Amino acid sequence: MSVAAGSGPVDAPLLPEPVTRPKGVLAFVRRQPLTFLVVSAILAIYVLVAVTGPWWAPYPPDELLTGDPFAPPSWDHLLGTDNFGRDVFSRLVHGERLVLGLALATAGLSVIVGSAVGLLSACLRGWPDELLGRVLEILISIPPLIIALLVLGSLGSSYLLTVSLVALFFAIRVATVIRAAALDVVVEDFVTLAKLRGEPIWSIAGREILPNVSSAVLVEFSLRTGYAVLFIGGLSFLGFGPAPPTPDWGLMINEGRTYISTAPWPVLGPALALAGLVVALSLFTERISEVLGLSVQRAPSQ
Amino acid sequence: MRYALRLVVSRLGLAVITLLAVSLVIFWTVELLPGDPATRILGQDATPERVKVLREELNLDEPALERYTDWLGGMIRGDWGDSIVAERPVTDYVLPRLENTLILAAYALALYIPLSLTLGIVTAVFRESRFTVWLSAAVLVGTAVPEFVVGILLLLTFAVTLPWFPPLADIDQAQSLPDLLHMLFLPAVTLTLAMTAYAVRMMQSSLVSVLESDYVRMATLKGLSRRRVILRHALPNALGPALRVTVLNIAWLIGGVVLVEVIFTFPGIGQLLIDSIRNLDTPVIEAIALIFAAVYILANLGADLVAAGLNPRLRARAR
Repeated sequence: MSVAAGSGPVDAPLLPEPVTRPKGVLAFVRRQPLTFLVVSAILAIYVLVAVTGPWWAPYPPDELLTGDPFAPPSWDHLLGTDNFGRDVFSRLVHGERLVLGLALATAGLSVIVGSAVGLLSACLRGWPDELLGRVLEILISIPPLIIALLVLGSLGSSYLLTVSLVALFFAIRVATVIRAAALDVVVEDFVTLAKLRGEPIWSIAGREILPNVSSAVLVEFSLRTGYAVLFIGGLSFLGFGPAPPTPDWGLMINEGRTYISTAPWPVLGPALALAGLVVALSLFTERISEVLGLSVQRAPSQ
Repeated sequence: MRYALRLVVSRLGLAVITLLAVSLVIFWTVELLPGDPATRILGQDATPERVKVLREELNLDEPALERYTDWLGGMIRGDWGDSIVAERPVTDYVLPRLENTLILAAYALALYIPLSLTLGIVTAVFRESRFTVWLSAAVLVGTAVPEFVVGILLLLTFAVTLPWFPPLADIDQAQSLPDLLHMLFLPAVTLTLAMTAYAVRMMQSSLVSVLESDYVRMATLKGLSRRRVILRHALPNALGPALRVTVLNIAWLIGGVVLVEVIFTFPGIGQLLIDSIRNLDTPVIEAIALIFAAVYILANLGADLVAAGLNPRLRARAR
């Protein structure tokens, strides 16, 4: 956050310099605490499974009676089978792409929209910024889960609707954070200078301010990805996500719940996979915000 | 004092505007529910004449704006209309469920306050011990694990594998208070764990910064007992942030309670909301959504005021 972009070349990078110090990548990796390395490895495995899983999963996700219904874990069925005799492990592996894809899409969309709004607002300053600040305050106290349930209940659930709806709620929170960060930068001399040079507002927002709040943007993206997994998982668990037989984790937990006393595996598998992903993302966010010198205000959300 | 009053009034005004905006969103969204309410009540094979009569009874032919103001006025007066599914007043239907949810929330809060206070103090005071490091890690994990996963795991462990608690929290079956507390233990603990994780994190960081401040060192050097320094000198200054996070936790409960009620089949307002959305019971949905929104907005307002009250600059101007 030390580079005064206004004095540098105009084509300053939009993303922060990689956090590698001159000593090289290997030295940087060695300096990281063990937990961070473990967490990064876990996240890498999740991504790897999401990308390659469908090629090597032992069974197709919705093939019925791959074994006896409610079969306990065995070599043939690593996590047992569900009430239809579908292989829980295969469904988990196939569903990963969906869970991760939806979360990344939601986080990406919310960070793009939220940052744009926050940056523009801070650049405009004066009454438009005051007004927008007030509007954001109003929007932030709309209960997301309740409204999401109403909208998805009325219009029917679809991937596009879920992603845009959750991204909208998150964008409000991202905009508030980015606006606050940008308001600290906007008073700097190089911004005033850029204004005096007659740079247009989007150029000031994008070239002067964005590089200086990019760590905050990055941390928000990481944070929101975890929250999106949680929020969308909760929606599918309540039955407002993809329809059966989609191998979505939240839906799998919901469907398996009925038979939990006969066979806990169909629930336990996706529940632990979901928890592991969210915890890993949360620890990852914690560490990168530490490296970037930011503190994450982790308030209870939803 | 003038400044403080102005702050409270302006915040309250903002909360009212928010609630109005949310009520508009709720009404508009529920209006989008597929199908015409009259057809929904009478079933698909009702004659057009009967549908027409009922539409008039329900004022469905009036302009949307008029129906919105009628509905909002009714909500404020306590006339919440009739449930389409149960065919009785929404108030009769919703209020007992609301009471159940409030009992669950109160139980969760009653467990949460002593637990988070104790853990917050212990993790801050013994911040260098190995135990605290593990506890802090557990707390961090606790803030991240989704509450419905926690609920499911508790249910699986303490109701299915070890049958210590009933898997269904059917509050109406409770005979006595101990019975009730036993029955609601798992759902309450699920809510408590999530809230405690946030509060402990907040309390620990604020208490550590207070414990490392000069006045606390001074108090220690004066020869006061460690216990007195912590409880009388340090703790009051760290309670503010804890209070703020507690109010935010109450706002969080709105979402948490829906998920937890579904997991434990608890006959509360959250479960009723989900059922009503499935049954397209518009008056019930609207009433519950508005109650939830009001609590959420009030809790956020409370958190804002606590934060403002804690800001020394604002406090100074308020005098």
